[in-house]
Amino acid sequence: MFGHQGKILHVDIGTGKSWTEDLPEEWRRLYVGSRGINAKILWDYCKDPSITWDDPRNIIIFAPGTVTGTTAPASGRTSVTTVGCTTGLYLKSNTGGHWGAELKRAGYDHLVVHGVAEKPVYILIQDDHVEVRDAKDLWGKDILETDALLKKWHGEDSRGLYIGPAGEKLVRAASIQCSLYHAAGRGGGAAVMGKKKLKAISVKGSKPVRVKDPKKFAEIAQEMRELLKADSGAQSLHEFGTSGSIGAVNELHAFPGKNWQTGYTENAHPISGQALNEKGYLKRRVACFGCTIGCHRYSVIEKGPHAGIASGGPEYETFGALGNGPGIIDTEGVLVLNEVCNRLGLDTITAGTVTQWAIESYLRGVLTKEDTDGLELDWGKLDEVKKTVEKIALREGKLGNLLADGLKIATKKVGKDSYKWAIINAKGLEQSNVETRSAKAYALAFAVNPRGNDHLMTETFAEFGASPESIEVIEKVTGDKKWASPHFTEYRAEIVRWHEDCYEITEALGFCVFTSTAAYGVNPDNMARLFAAATGIELSEEEMMLTGRRVCTLEKAFNVTRGATREYDNLPWRLMNEGAASGPLKGEKNSKEELDGMLDRYYELHGWDKETSWPTRETLEMLKLKDVADYLEELGKLP
Amino acid sequence: MMEKVLLVDMDKCTGCKQCSLACSLTKEDLFDPDRGRIKILKKEEIALGLQLVCEQCESHPCVASCPNGALSRDETTGIITVDENLCTSQGACVDACIYYAIRLHPETKKPMFCDLCGGDPYCVKHCVPEALQWVDKSEDLTKTKRKLRSTRIAMYKELKKEAA
Repeated sequence: MFGHQGKILHVDIGTGKSWTEDLPEEWRRLYVGSRGINAKILWDYCKDPSITWDDPRNIIIFAPGTVTGTTAPASGRTSVTTVGCTTGLYLKSNTGGHWGAELKRAGYDHLVVHGVAEKPVYILIQDDHVEVRDAKDLWGKDILETDALLKKWHGEDSRGLYIGPAGEKLVRAASIQCSLYHAAGRGGGAAVMGKKKLKAISVKGSKPVRVKDPKKFAEIAQEMRELLKADSGAQSLHEFGTSGSIGAVNELHAFPGKNWQTGYTENAHPISGQALNEKGYLKRRVACFGCTIGCHRYSVIEKGPHAGIASGGPEYETFGALGNGPGIIDTEGVLVLNEVCNRLGLDTITAGTVTQWAIESYLRGVLTKEDTDGLELDWGKLDEVKKTVEKIALREGKLGNLLADGLKIATKKVGKDSYKWAIINAKGLEQSNVETRSAKAYALAFAVNPRGNDHLMTETFAEFGASPESIEVIEKVTGDKKWASPHFTEYRAEIVRWHEDCYEITEALGFCVFTSTAAYGVNPDNMARLFAAATGIELSEEEMMLTGRRVCTLEKAFNVTRGATREYDNLPWRLMNEGAASGPLKGEKNSKEELDGMLDRYYELHGWDKETSWPTRETLEMLKLKDVADYLEELGKLP
Repeated sequence: MMEKVLLVDMDKCTGCKQCSLACSLTKEDLFDPDRGRIKILKKEEIALGLQLVCEQCESHPCVASCPNGALSRDETTGIITVDENLCTSQGACVDACIYYAIRLHPETKKPMFCDLCGGDPYCVKHCVPEALQWVDKSEDLTKTKRKLRSTRIAMYKELKKEAA
């Protein structure tokens, strides 16, 4: 097969059996690859709502993209799909690194893990050799130790994906780490692995990837590469990493601090990509497989009390959630916290957001010193934040056990209106560090995101109009470039809808979403042409975008089986009810009225029912999802 | 035409493997980093990408090492050619190379040598961070090339020593 390798690998870790299945041609036409085909597989196996995240029937699927393993720039990403632990809903997470390309080189487009092991296991994949092995020597080990052992046993050039102690202990904030410092972090996929007692997956492959028309493919890949090379956003990502934008975000008073009570921090410079460069912490700029941008960082502290701390990152989100959030305005402080998270296998966003909630709860007297195991929590205290993060990862003490289950559960346990300062929405995921009160398309995108309120199912950065390329996108979508301002609520639904489809096909092909929704070198037109050159399947730009819409609707339908309604599509109480503290949009909220207006239009554009938010039969059948409509009708969940 | 030189800078390498993929594409119409004449040693824990590639070197011990006389060298360009009829895939050249640049093709088992694509290396176009540069030759740049090479080879030896 061209583009794809043509095989789905299934492994049942309960029985130790594995088998392969041919990748159906029809799925490639309808779902393109990776995220899209994962959604189809998850629907087929787990649509029954009695399958909860911790049910042995839950599966977890790993998939590199249709063009992963080629010279298409930044196409080495992997989608991970399962019933999520944090929200209990649909979870797609996505990781960079080099593991996914290795899985593809082993001959597989998708790896589906079934069942639960009795004792800890890991999966070893070496081309056609697939084995479920005893992981007793890995269980309890941190990420670095795990990676080192796997490489010792299976070769320096094998690639690993694994969970740390946090995942083993079913912590909601646990992250699936990949190639050491990359992560499918959000939503608790690591807890699903932990529940299955699946510690790691080691892969080594030796099979080439072939495309249908190598000459045409190379031309389109070159076009994308050159567009990205010239793009100011991509250049900044290489030079300063994702945290290079912190200065600008702070100037917009949109950099959340102290659990979203502030948006502007005096002298935020120490927690930025620029500071990493200037102070000599940055040792290398690092790329995922096949990426010509190289936004990832490798940072080292060489001198002083923290000498020897070395890890991947920190990213923008980490400087936000574990820096500005808890008031650690200190480069080394964040490097220390980042290293703890990478080592123990924690998502820095959730770990940081949960910690901020604990600090505010303590300052309000809602959590007592007994609840915090004696820690006197306050803003800006590195030692206390570090201890809190470690307690979360290891479920240590009263505080660790409370916070390890995430804010959805912790706020219910604590009560006392503590949901009002918990930065989660109705679905229950901790929000990533985007100030949605002053960016209205982001607000809508976060509210409707099937996995919870973050920027990683779609991203609408273009609404800021920060570059000529992004203004062009807004003009294309809305018909007028004047709508390239995040303060408008008009046309936000149109902007979100376009970006959802674009983002989905970007991931389905294996591209990094930065290539199409933060920088603009990859777009629906050149993706459709590349897909044809890779696979021989000709889809127009519109047909390609329609596959994105199909997948978004299928993901939505999955949540509908779990009881999702319009009420699930909201934002954290604080952002809906308390105004932004300062800046051009001081006092601005994501009020219910404002959100309702955008939601009505959004559901209308999707062909979903406004009252329930459920997809209609007509829409589902138009998208060739008749079986989905039939199942929803059976459940009584068709409008 | 002005003589050119390939600069290979480890510190700018992000380890993405575009160069190896591009090489396998232009030579064999497929994507496989193991078939790249240029290879990247990836050391994930220190985020290192280290490029290894035939340097068309003056000493070319590979040629003498071959028990079958299968290797010949173009005296002008320094490019090594394999006579596939004579080569028996014993890998003596792999062991002899002082720059650790030679490996055997995974299918044919014949050694792979960079031929600079006949004077327009395809990999260079793919290296956006400019860890690979194809520049007009000068005395200064020849020195730079040597310096960059010693840095890479010193790192390679250090890594191998650690592994042993």
